[in-house]
Amino acid sequence: MNDAIKMQISAFVDGELPQNEAELLLRRLCQDAQLRQQAAEYLAMGRAMRGERAISGIATLRQRIQAELDDVSLERAVIEKAPVPTRFLRPVAGGAIAAAVALAALLGLQQLAEEPEVSAPVGNNAFSGAVGASYSVAEEEDDPLRDYYLRHNVSSSNVGINSINPSVVTWRLRQSVVVEREPAENAADSEPAAGDASETNESTSP
Amino acid sequence: MLRIDGKLVACLVLLGLPGGASLAQEYTPQQWLERMAAAVQSTNYEGTVLQMQDGQSIALKVMHVVKDGVVHEKVASQEGDGLEIIRRGNEVRRILPDEQSVLIAQWNDRGGQFLDLPSTGVSPGSEYTVFIVREERVAGRKAVRLAIVPHDEYRYSHQLWLDTETGFPLQTQLQGPDGTPIEQLKFADIRLDANINASAITPTTSTEDFRWMAQPQRTISDSVDTPWRSDDLPAGFRAVSTHIESVAGREGEIIHILYSDGLANVSVFIEPAMASNRIARRSRVGASCSYSTRRDGYQVTAVGAVPDATVERIATSMRPQ
Repeated sequence: MNDAIKMQISAFVDGELPQNEAELLLRRLCQDAQLRQQAAEYLAMGRAMRGERAISGIATLRQRIQAELDDVSLERAVIEKAPVPTRFLRPVAGGAIAAAVALAALLGLQQLAEEPEVSAPVGNNAFSGAVGASYSVAEEEDDPLRDYYLRHNVSSSNVGINSINPSVVTWRLRQSVVVEREPAENAADSEPAAGDASETNESTSP
Repeated sequence: MLRIDGKLVACLVLLGLPGGASLAQEYTPQQWLERMAAAVQSTNYEGTVLQMQDGQSIALKVMHVVKDGVVHEKVASQEGDGLEIIRRGNEVRRILPDEQSVLIAQWNDRGGQFLDLPSTGVSPGSEYTVFIVREERVAGRKAVRLAIVPHDEYRYSHQLWLDTETGFPLQTQLQGPDGTPIEQLKFADIRLDANINASAITPTTSTEDFRWMAQPQRTISDSVDTPWRSDDLPAGFRAVSTHIESVAGREGEIIHILYSDGLANVSVFIEPAMASNRIARRSRVGASCSYSTRRDGYQVTAVGAVPDATVERIATSMRPQ
C-alpha cells in the first residue's frame, strides 16, 4: 500500500476526504481484497502504536454519520452490511456518509457501532481452584451451537493437534455472534436441521 | 483448488521463483516445520500482533515466557473491550475491564495460549504438500515463507512466515480455496528471547473489585466406543478421540468424536434430537463453520476450521453402525 492511499484513509477517518475521493477510495477497496487487508492492518497498527482502543477521529466521524442517517440506526446499518461485502457496493452512489458506513464495515471499524452487550461466560473446563473468597458459577450458554464451537477448539488443543487457531478466538466466542449464513442452493434437497434455521442463532449475544 | 505435487514444486524451485535459495534452502520444508514447533515451545517473546479475521483487524499485545517449566502468557487486546487473557501454567484468566469481570478456566494444552501450531502429521506425501515459497521480511526480520497446500478441496491452505534465525512463526495465514486470506496473525513488532520477568505478566488494571466467575462443571468421559461412524470421510481424516460429555444442569449426554487429518480438525457432536435444541443448519465463526442435520432421532453437528463442504460431508455421512 503506497503512502497516497494511507493518506487518503487517514483523511477519510478524520472526515477530511472530499466526497468524490471517498467514493473512489471505497470503490478501490471494494475491488481489491489485498488492499482492504493492508488498509485494515495500517489502521490497526496506527491504533496499536498510539495505544488507542478506539479509532482516532472516530467520534467526529460518528457524529457526522449520525447526523445524516436520521432515523436509520447506525448500529443496524453497520451490522447489516458487515456479513456480505458485495452489498457494500450499493451505498457508493448514496454519497459520502453511506460510503463512510460501508468503508467502516469493509475495514472492520467496529467501534463505529456501540459495543454489543456481553453475554454470560461459557466455557469448557471445570475449575475448582482458589480464586478468592467467593465467586459465582457462570450460567451455561443456552445456545448449543456456540457450545459446540468452544468444545471443538478446546478438544483440538487437548489432543495436541490444534491447527492455527488462536485461543483468542475461543475466548471471544462468548461475545461473538454466530452468524447465520445463506442456505446453500441445494439445501432444500437435504434433510432439515432442527427447527427453522432462519429462526435460530440470528443473534446469540444475550 | 490449486493442486500441487512434488514434481511441480521441484520445477518451480528450479525455475528460480523469487528467493528459493540461500537461507531457506538450508533446511527442508519438514525441517522448517520442526524448527517452528521447537521455537514455539522454547522461545520467550513479546510483541504486537495484528489478528485479521473476517476482514477485520485487531491489534494484540502478547508476552510469552517459560520459567521453571511453567508457561506464563499474556494476550491483551489493544482496542474494543480491552480483553486480556493471562495464563500461568494451566490456569487461565480472561479479564474484561469494561465489564469488570474475570473468568477462570483450566487450560490443558501443552502449547501456548496464543500460538497453536500444527505439531504432527504434516509431511509431504500426506494430504498436503509443504514447500518453501521464498524469503520475505516480517516485523523487520528475515523470514522463510512456507506453504502447506492441500491436495483437495476439503481443507484450507496455510502460509507460514518463519524467522530464518530461529524458526519462530512471525506470520501465519489460513487461505481459502481461491487463495483469499481467511485468518491471519502477523507480528508488527517482536522481541524474540526477550528478557521478560514472569512477574510482569499481570493484568493491566487491578481486578480486586471485579466479579470473578468459574465455569459450569463439565464431565468428560475417558475414550469410549460408539456405534457412530462416518461412511464417507474425506481422505486422510481419522477419528482421534471419542468421548461422552455432559454438563451439570443440562439434560442428556453428547457424543463428541474428533476427526483429524493431522492439521485440520473436525468435531462431530451427536445428541438426541429434541425440540429444545434448535440448531442452525449452517453457521460460521471466524474461520470455523458448522453443518447440522438429523439422523435416526439424533442431532448430528460437525464443526471445524475447514471449508463448508467438509463439515457438510462429514455430518451427513455419520451413521450408527
